[in-house]
Amino acid sequence: MPPILQGIITIIIGVGGCVGYFYAANLFLDKVLFPARGPNAGRNINRANIVRPWVFLFPAVFALGLYLVYPVVGSFIRSMYDRSGDEFVGAGNYIRLFNNPDFRQAFLNNILWALVVPAVTTFMGLLIAQLTDRLKWGNIAKSIIFMPMAISFVGASLIWKFVYAQDPDLGIINAIRASFGGEALDPLQIPFWNNFLLMVILIWIQTGFSMVILSAALRGVPEETIEAAIIDGANPFQVFFKIKVPQIIGTIVVVWTTITILVLKVFDIVYTMTGGNYGTEILPSFMMDFMFRDDGQATAVAFVIMLVVLPVMIWNIVQARKEMR
Amino acid sequence: MKKFYLASAAALAISATGALADGHVEHVFPVGEGAFNWDSYTAYADAFDLSGQELTITGPWTGADAELVNSVIDYFESATGATVQYSGSDNFEQDIVIATQAGSAPNIAVFPQPGLMTDLAARGALTPLSAETADWIRANYAAGDSWVSLGTAAGADGEEGLYGFFYKVDLKSLVWYSPEAFEEAGYDVPETMEELLALNDQIVADGETPWCIGLGSGGATGWPATDWVEDLMLRTQSPDVYDAWVSNEMPFNSPEVVNAIETFGTFARNGDYVNGGVEAVASTDFRESPLGLFTFPAECYMHRQASFIPTFFPEDADSDFFYFPAYESEDLGSPVLGAGTLFGITQDSDAAQAFMAFLQTEISHEIWMAQSGFLTPHTGVNSELFASDTLRQMNDILLGATTFRFDASDLMPSEIGQGIFWSGMVDYVGGEDAASVAGRIQDRWAEIQ
Repeated sequence: MPPILQGIITIIIGVGGCVGYFYAANLFLDKVLFPARGPNAGRNINRANIVRPWVFLFPAVFALGLYLVYPVVGSFIRSMYDRSGDEFVGAGNYIRLFNNPDFRQAFLNNILWALVVPAVTTFMGLLIAQLTDRLKWGNIAKSIIFMPMAISFVGASLIWKFVYAQDPDLGIINAIRASFGGEALDPLQIPFWNNFLLMVILIWIQTGFSMVILSAALRGVPEETIEAAIIDGANPFQVFFKIKVPQIIGTIVVVWTTITILVLKVFDIVYTMTGGNYGTEILPSFMMDFMFRDDGQATAVAFVIMLVVLPVMIWNIVQARKEMR
Repeated sequence: MKKFYLASAAALAISATGALADGHVEHVFPVGEGAFNWDSYTAYADAFDLSGQELTITGPWTGADAELVNSVIDYFESATGATVQYSGSDNFEQDIVIATQAGSAPNIAVFPQPGLMTDLAARGALTPLSAETADWIRANYAAGDSWVSLGTAAGADGEEGLYGFFYKVDLKSLVWYSPEAFEEAGYDVPETMEELLALNDQIVADGETPWCIGLGSGGATGWPATDWVEDLMLRTQSPDVYDAWVSNEMPFNSPEVVNAIETFGTFARNGDYVNGGVEAVASTDFRESPLGLFTFPAECYMHRQASFIPTFFPEDADSDFFYFPAYESEDLGSPVLGAGTLFGITQDSDAAQAFMAFLQTEISHEIWMAQSGFLTPHTGVNSELFASDTLRQMNDILLGATTFRFDASDLMPSEIGQGIFWSGMVDYVGGEDAASVAGRIQDRWAEIQ
C-alpha cells in the first residue's frame, strides 16, 4: 500500500472512529439503555443525562490514564532502581544526577530555553499581530510568518544548519563576516551563545503560532473601549499597553504556557544541530544519552523534566479557572 | 474477466515456485558470468526454497552503502524466492535497542560493533547461532578464532554463545591521499611515523595544509577521533596495555591514554595542520571531510580513515592509501586496527537462519568485494575479484598484520564507547584538557561497574 493511501485511510479511520464512537454511544444510551419511552420515560431521561458526560469523557480519561498516569507512576518507581532495574537505590539516581556537571549544564540550559523562547516568541507574536492588523498587505505578511509552523523541527534545523554553516559560500553569518574581511568561524561552537542560536530556530517556528492566536484576541477587544481611550487623549502606546494588553492577558498566558511546555519537550533541534556537544545539552537530549543503557538515570531525568513543567501547568490551570469565572 | 485474473494468478504462482526466479531481480553481475564463484550460488539456491517468506533486516548502512548491501541481498532473494526489506538508519544504535524493547525487532540486525551486540545478547534479545557456524568461521576465516571470540557473548541466562557473524570487515589504520597531488608537490609516502611528522611540517612550510579531519556524524559525532586515539595507543603502547584499556583494568585516565589523546591533539588541535582550522574538525561531517583531498588546488593532503571511506569519494577521484605508520623508535611492529559489522538474529525465522547460511557462501562476499569498500577475512573467496588493487592491498594488510586489534570503542560498554568517549573527544578538540576529558570518561565507567 502506498504511504499516501495509508495516510488517508488512517485519517478516515481515526476521524470516523471518533465520530462513530460518540454517535453510537449516544444512540445506545438513548435507545437501548435508558429509552425515553414506556413507564419510566422521565426517570430514564434524567439518568441518561447523568451518565452521558461520563460516556463522552471515557475515551479521554482512558487514554490519559493509560498513556500518562500509568507511565508517570511507572517511571517514578523505575527511577528508584539501579541501571538494570534489579536493585532499589532510593534517591541514588537523583543524587548522582545533581552531582553530574553535564546534568547541571543541561538543567541550566533548559531553564534558559524555558525563559527566553516563550518570552521572545510571545512578544514577537504580539508585536507582529498588532503591526499587521491595520496593514493592507498584513494578511500576506502573516501568511509568510506563519509558514515555518508547517516545517518539522528536524527540517527547520537542517535549514538553519545552512544559515550557520562555516563555509562562507553557504552560511549567511560567515558570508557577512567574510564581506567585512573576517575569519570564518563556526557559530555553533561559541560557548554559551550557541544556545541562543538554537533557540532562534524554535522562535522562528513558533512565532507564527503565537501571532495567529494573539491576532484573533486583539480583534476581540471591544472597539468602544479603544474609542473611549482615544477620546480621552491616549496615545497609541497607551492604547496598546493599557487598554488592549490587559484585555487579552488571558490569551497571552495561554500562548506563553503552551510554548513553555513545548520547549521542555524539544530535543530534535539540539540533536540535529549539535548532538548536544559544545555545551548545548538540554534535559531531553541528556536523557537520550542514558536511555536504554541506564534506565534508572534516564527515568530520573524524565522525572526532573516533569517537575520543571509542573509549576507551569498548575499556573496555567489556575489562570484558566479564573477565566471561567 | 474474473477467470482471466484467476488464470494469471495461477500462472504467477507456478512461476514463483520455480527454484530460480532470476527474471524478477535486477542483478549487479549477471549470474554465471565472470570469475565469481557461481557454484556456491547455485548450490545454495538448490538447498533453500523460501518462496513467499519475508525477511526484515535493519542496519547502520545508509545511502551508497545501503545500495551495496541491497545488491548482495538481491542474490539471496533470487536464490530463495524470499522478499527482503532492508532499512538503514544513521541512528541504528538507538533504533535497534528501542525496537527490541518494543517487541518490533527485525529478523536480522547488522551491528556496527560487538559492544552493542553484547548488550542485547545479555538482555536475551538475540538468538544464538549454531555451533556449526562457529566451526565454519574457524575453518574459513583468517584468524577465525578471534572472529569467533569477538562474536561471542553471554546470553540472558549467562551462557556463552556465538551471537554475531562477522561480514564486511574494515581496516582502520589507513591514510588516504591523492597520488596526483603528492606527485605534483613532490612528497613521498612516509614509511615511519617520524617521516610522517616530518612530512606534516614540510607541507606546512610549503604553505599548504596536511590533514583533513572531520568528526561530524549526526548523533554519533566524535567517533572518527576515537579511531585516531586507538591507532595512536597501538603505536605508543604494547598490545597488552591496549587490552587492559579496553577492559578498563587500566583506568581511562591513566597517563598512557592521556598521552595518546594528546598525541592526537598534536594533529587535530594544531590550526596549521587541519583544513578549515581546529573549529572545522568537530563540525565537518566525516563523509565530506575527505573531499578536500581531491579539490584543485588540494585543500589538504592526507586523511586518516578506515577502508570504507572510498564509498564517499567523488566518482572520478584518483585515490590511494598508505598504512598509518608506526614509530620506528617505539619498536612495536606494524599494529593494525580494524573493525567489522556483525549480523545477529533479533527475531528468529527460517528465512533468518537461511540468510545466515547465505553469508557463508563465497558469492555473498564476492558480490560486494567486486564493487567498493568491502574487505573480508573469508579465505575461500577469489581475491582477483576485488574492485581495485587498493582493496586487494588492504586485504593483504589485514591478513598480514603483526598485531591486529579490534576497535576499542566498539568493545567498550556502549555508554562509554558509543557515548561519552565520542562526546569527550569533541570536547577535547574544542579545547578541553585531555586529562579532564579522560577523567570524566573514567568516572562514568566507574559508575557502570
